[in-house]
Amino acid sequence: MSRLFIDFAIQAYLAGAAVGIAAPLIGCFLVQRRLSLIGDATGHLAFAGVAIGVAVGVAPIWGALLTALVGAVALEWLRAKGRLAGDVSLALIFYLGLALGLVVLSAHGGLTASSTGVLFGSIFTITWLDVWTIALLCALVVGAVALFYKELVAVALDEETARASGLPVDSLNVLLVVLTALLVAAGMRVVGLLLVAALLVIPVAAGARLAHSFRSAMLWAIAAGLTSTLAGLVVALLQGTIAPGGTIVLAAATVFAVAAVVGRRAARRHPRSSAA
Amino acid sequence: MSELTVELAGVRFGYGAAPILDGVDLTLGAGEFSVLAGANGSGKSTLLKLLVGLLRPNAGTVRVLGGSPTDPDIRRHVGYAPQGLRMATSLPVSVTEVVAAGLAPSKGMLRRLDRKDWTRVTEAIEAVGLGDLSAECLFELSGGQQQRAILARALVGHPRLLLLDEPTTGIDQRLRPALVRELRHRADDGATVIAVSHDPDEFHEVCERILVLVDGRLQRITHEEFHHQFHEHGAPG
Repeated sequence: MSRLFIDFAIQAYLAGAAVGIAAPLIGCFLVQRRLSLIGDATGHLAFAGVAIGVAVGVAPIWGALLTALVGAVALEWLRAKGRLAGDVSLALIFYLGLALGLVVLSAHGGLTASSTGVLFGSIFTITWLDVWTIALLCALVVGAVALFYKELVAVALDEETARASGLPVDSLNVLLVVLTALLVAAGMRVVGLLLVAALLVIPVAAGARLAHSFRSAMLWAIAAGLTSTLAGLVVALLQGTIAPGGTIVLAAATVFAVAAVVGRRAARRHPRSSAA
Repeated sequence: MSELTVELAGVRFGYGAAPILDGVDLTLGAGEFSVLAGANGSGKSTLLKLLVGLLRPNAGTVRVLGGSPTDPDIRRHVGYAPQGLRMATSLPVSVTEVVAAGLAPSKGMLRRLDRKDWTRVTEAIEAVGLGDLSAECLFELSGGQQQRAILARALVGHPRLLLLDEPTTGIDQRLRPALVRELRHRADDGATVIAVSHDPDEFHEVCERILVLVDGRLQRITHEEFHHQFHEHGAPG
């Protein structure tokens, strides 16, 4: 039990909590707009950024952040132009990012055990500097969502009507993918670039089962994200050898299963009216 | 004549080679209430989308409220209700949230909705008869109730131009007269109202004229002329 409260565990809780709160927050807008795969694609592209960072001697998180930002904005531009329709285009981007990262890393002798940490998380080896960097990135996400909440909701509910009523939809879409990129970079050390999209989606799916409004779904999703990251970390710390990135995502899946059962039972007990 | 709020001159539009709209001319002033009728595929929804700037004409000019329909400052004074629900149902959304979204453009960026705004949201929800269902999830309501919520979203900002695509479709017959009267009140307050409908009779008591799209052209006729032309020789819808 004592290992739950040692220094690296506290650092992990803080970093995990920051991502556990911010990921579902931004995930609500992505899921509602059926853009969940943008998070996945950005994560894959960020791997290429980590590799390029290693090649030029830049810390992985900054390489990941830069590539995620450029990649996310490019993806949104392609989507807005209608050139990113269908799963084949996104699959191409996934594999391009991974392959590019693999080639660059191996060419520079960086394909070591630490690259597994980039892909699947390495939260127990983070420093206080990493914690503050992750907290800053997540604070930017939370702050931007708080500032532009009503505009982001209006676009998430109905993009066409939002555009017709004068909202700067294109700028808000770019803001959304930029925030996604920040979150992907923040989540790299927590659950890894391959699993970070899970925290954008699974807690949101859980929140949707328990709520009757967008705002309450968002609050439930944040609670689910926070619970999942902390529970996943505790399990990994107690067991001692398993990867925390995996336990966090499995904990999120468990929370989702519980939410699905609770939500279904609540719906049976209190059926909503749907009169004419 | 009152201030012109809608000005179409020689508007042509088509998705392919054949134009849907072929030389549409129209001027409407503040406070005018018009029903837009026509057969399926005649271009009614297309005409509304041109007026809100979601489509651009192939030829001719479209001006609303004295400016371009793509100007954000103009768009903030336009209320648009598309036909049916156009949102993903991944997450629940309450009726109040949908209607409040209609205030986002006019409120301005970075400004939170205040108590006065929430009062307007409540009034708009009550105006469409959804007061008891304001906290309910939109996707759990009937099609008619969803349509009323969409109508409330268009009304909440008290726009100067209301463009409504089949606003009464799916709504209980008993509730329609009250909704139509609410639209008439908006026109009396100075708003220009264009409502697409397959049944202009619903608006007989409240609107001045019927705009009918036939073969890509707009005819401006009275209710009596509409009956004479289409009910006696076959309805356009």
